[in-house]
Parts: sequence; structure tokens; C-alpha cells
Amino acid sequence: MHAAIVGIGHTEYSRDSGRSELKLACEAIGAAMRDAGLRPDEVDGIAKYTMDNNDPVEIARCPGLPRLRFFGGVPYGGGGGPAGTVLLAAMAVTTGQAQAVIAFRAMNERSGRGTPRFGQAWMTDRAEGPFSYLAPYGLFSPAQMVAMAARRHMHLYGTESRHFGEIARICRHHANLNPDAMMHGKPMTLEDHQASRMIADPLRLLDCCLETDGGAAVIVTTPEFARDLCQPPVHIAAAGMGGGAWNNRFMVKDAEAVHNETTVITEHLFQDAGITHDDIDVLFIYDHFTPMVLMALEDFRFCPRGEGKDFIGDGSRFRWPQGHLPMNTSGGNLSEGYMHGMQNIIEAVRQLRGTAPCQVQGAQHAFVSAGNAVPSSAMILRRDG
Amino acid sequence: MSHAADFPYPVPEPGTEPFWEGCNAERLLMQRCNACRKLRWHPAPLCIWCQHEEHEWVPVSGRGRIHTWTVITHPVHPAAVDHVPYVVVEVALDEQSDLRMVSNLVDCDPVDIVMDAAVEVCFRRHASGQKLPVFRLVHRNT
Repeated sequence: MHAAIVGIGHTEYSRDSGRSELKLACEAIGAAMRDAGLRPDEVDGIAKYTMDNNDPVEIARCPGLPRLRFFGGVPYGGGGGPAGTVLLAAMAVTTGQAQAVIAFRAMNERSGRGTPRFGQAWMTDRAEGPFSYLAPYGLFSPAQMVAMAARRHMHLYGTESRHFGEIARICRHHANLNPDAMMHGKPMTLEDHQASRMIADPLRLLDCCLETDGGAAVIVTTPEFARDLCQPPVHIAAAGMGGGAWNNRFMVKDAEAVHNETTVITEHLFQDAGITHDDIDVLFIYDHFTPMVLMALEDFRFCPRGEGKDFIGDGSRFRWPQGHLPMNTSGGNLSEGYMHGMQNIIEAVRQLRGTAPCQVQGAQHAFVSAGNAVPSSAMILRRDG
Repeated sequence: MSHAADFPYPVPEPGTEPFWEGCNAERLLMQRCNACRKLRWHPAPLCIWCQHEEHEWVPVSGRGRIHTWTVITHPVHPAAVDHVPYVVVEVALDEQSDLRMVSNLVDCDPVDIVMDAAVEVCFRRHASGQKLPVFRLVHRNT
């Protein structure tokens, strides 16, 4: 891959933005272009992911991109898409199809102004395709589906709810150090987690990510073009997508499958980047639900399968500044804001620029994953030097 | 949240009608590959194990074990409001270790559910009229 992230931008993250999803997208993209020092006529590509209502033609009109040469998208999987959009953007600039490509997410997922709340708005009375084998039984929401895999993992490996709670607390710890995080100023104890109400046993409310209105965007270009821009480039050392034969069961993940969307990515990602897990300085594991973070750590081989509970431990390994492997350092989907993972990519770039609120000293490599239990994506980012 | 009569009703796809008609006759039918003889769930146009195109619909026992489950306490569909808590279960059917289907566990207290518990199929009539395969615990005297 011959590409780098050169611009980042986002709106505030809130429960009700009070404006349209298109406006949120344009604000985030405009901020990313200003951050990079790019004029609209220098940006010629857009990559989006599924479940975003903003069409490339609207984006092209509003920030005013007169020469759109590439538009692509990750067609399935919701939060499995963020690293995938950066991958598409990187492929486009690497192959010369475009010069600078936007990857973005914008939604009013909390207020429901445009996007239905993913965990709540199942008003349909018809169940079609694979959904016809799930929804008639009252299985609708991602939380309900993920709960089934979490239960199986607990049975197989002795994982407990408190391990999920420690993951929630890692993100909350960082959110309390990030003034822009939705949950800033709201500390969480393990007792708080254990006392939070059950949503779909064993998943509690505090095992679930936030719901958020907002917009977030990054811009990808070639290292050569990046030289004339405002920010130090953050290189895409490797990126990949992954899916498997069972992903059509939505988020009813098979906790024991040898191959899944995560392991498929892992097979080549570190080799492509030419590094090992020990080279990762700061970690971003997509945190839609705490048990999925634990399972992703295993499937990405940060620890062996079944040992996630010990790897999580009391969470200290992952907490900035003392931990050796700080994770989701701006608070993640769980506590910063649920921008479907794009906010984690932005924070990874901040870390590698040296401008993060919880700055990992000398961070050179960041690992960023997208949502698992659906077709997914991940990447390794690297700074110069 | 307004109330609705039932959860979404299934819309059969072309090629899957035998399954739904079987349910209405209170028989659980699944596709069995004519080449490798393996069963598959949910329905697929080719064998997911050997990609052979020919299959037949065969009855399965409807007996199996609980592979995993969740007790849903937070209603996210209007029809769920009057039904929480309810249990969604993934059942591993006795016929084949990798043959698992998602359904409901009915007529049970959630505290009685344990992993690998024996279950058997029964049928519930959905408000649409379609019968659905659901499961109940098998209480064996030991």
C-alpha cells in the first residue's frame, strides 16, 4: 500500500445534533480538508460504508468536489467497514485512480434524525432472506445476537461478566481524560458495570456502545502528494478486509469457528506491514460490545483463543499512561462516541502525530480494527521515523 | 412503544417453501445433499459443504442440545413489549454436530436453562398463521 492519512476532522459527538446528516458529513469532511490543507478541487474520491445515508453525489455538491474520479463503498456490515473505507481509499490512490480520497461516517443514530437507532428501531413486520430464520423468534438487535456468542465464550473458557466490565472501564478511563468524549466526567466502577441493567443476558447496558449523532472523516493520499500538505503523513502500513461463510447470520457469531472475519484478516495483516504484535504501540479494537473486544483480541492473536479473560485481567495493561498496550485511548465507541469506528481511526492518527489527549510517548505503530461478528476490516498505521 | 400482534413474519424465498410447509404440518425438514449426504441449516441453493446442486428435504428428529442462549429483557420490537423476558436459543441438532438452528426456548423458567441441556422441537403458530419450530426442555428422569 502506498498511501497515507493526511487529514482528520469530526463534529462534536452528541445525543442530538440538531442538524442533518448531510451537514454533519460536510462539517467533518470540511474539517479534514482544512486539517490537511487540501482545496476541494484537489480531492477527487469518496469511500463510504454501509448504513450511511449520505450519497457521494451529495457530498460532491456540498463541499464542492468538481472532479470526482473515484467513489466506492464497503457494501455490508455496518461497523465492519471503517478500516475498509480507508483500504478502498488507499487502493485508489496507490493505483492512481484518484489523488486524495475521503473516507467518512456521519449519522444521527441517537436522535433518529435520518438514521434509525440500531438497537431499538425494529418496526418491520416482515422478515426476509436470512433474517426470516432469526427475527420471527424475536432476535433483532446486534446486542441480542452478540449475547449468544458471549454466553458460549463464557461456557468454553470461563470468561466472566467482570472481564467484560474491565473492557468497559478501560474505555471509560480514557473518555475521562478526553474532554471531547460523550462520557467525559462520568467515571465507572466495576460495581457500576455489574449493577447496570441486563439487556440480553449476559450483556448488560454498560457492555453496549453509545448511540451518537455526529460526523467523522479522514483523507487519504499518496506519500508524495502528502509532502506539500500541512500534517505529517500517517502511513497505511497494511489493511485488509475479512469475511466468512457464516457471516450471513448477521451477528450470531460462531464463537468456535476456526476461520472467521477476524482470523482471515490476521492471516496477512502483520506480515504485510512487516511487523509483529510486539511492535504495536497503541491499540484500537472496535468496541461495539465488550465481549467482542475480548474475542477480537484473541482472533487477532494478541493472545491465544480462550485466554482473553487473563489478557484483560484488571485492565491495567490497556490503561494509559501506565499500561504497556493502551487501548481505545479516546474512549472508543463505548465512551467517546459511536461513530461506527471512524472516531478510533481519527484517534489513531492523533496518536501517531503526537497530538492525542492520552498521548503514548513515541508511538510509531497503531493497530485499528473494525467491528467483528460481521464482515470486517482492520489496518496497521505507521508514522515516519 | 405501540404494541404489535407478533414478531415479524417470515417471507419464504423461492426454494425454501418445503421447510415452511413442513412446519405447518409440524414436521421439521432440512435440506440434505444428494452427494455428500450432509444436512445444512439454514437453506442454501448449493451444498455448503461440497457445493453439489441437488438436495432433498428430509425430516429431522427435532431433538438436540442447547449450544447457547440469551434471555432478552429489553424489548426492541413492539411485539416484544408484552413478551419480555423471552429466550432465544441456538440448538445443536442430534443428527449432525455442526447442524445448529436459532429458535426460541418456550415453556421454561430462564433459571432452569443450562448449557447442553436436551431439547425437543414443538411448533408455535405465529399471528400470521405460519407455524414456527420452537424448542422446549426435555425433562428426563435419571
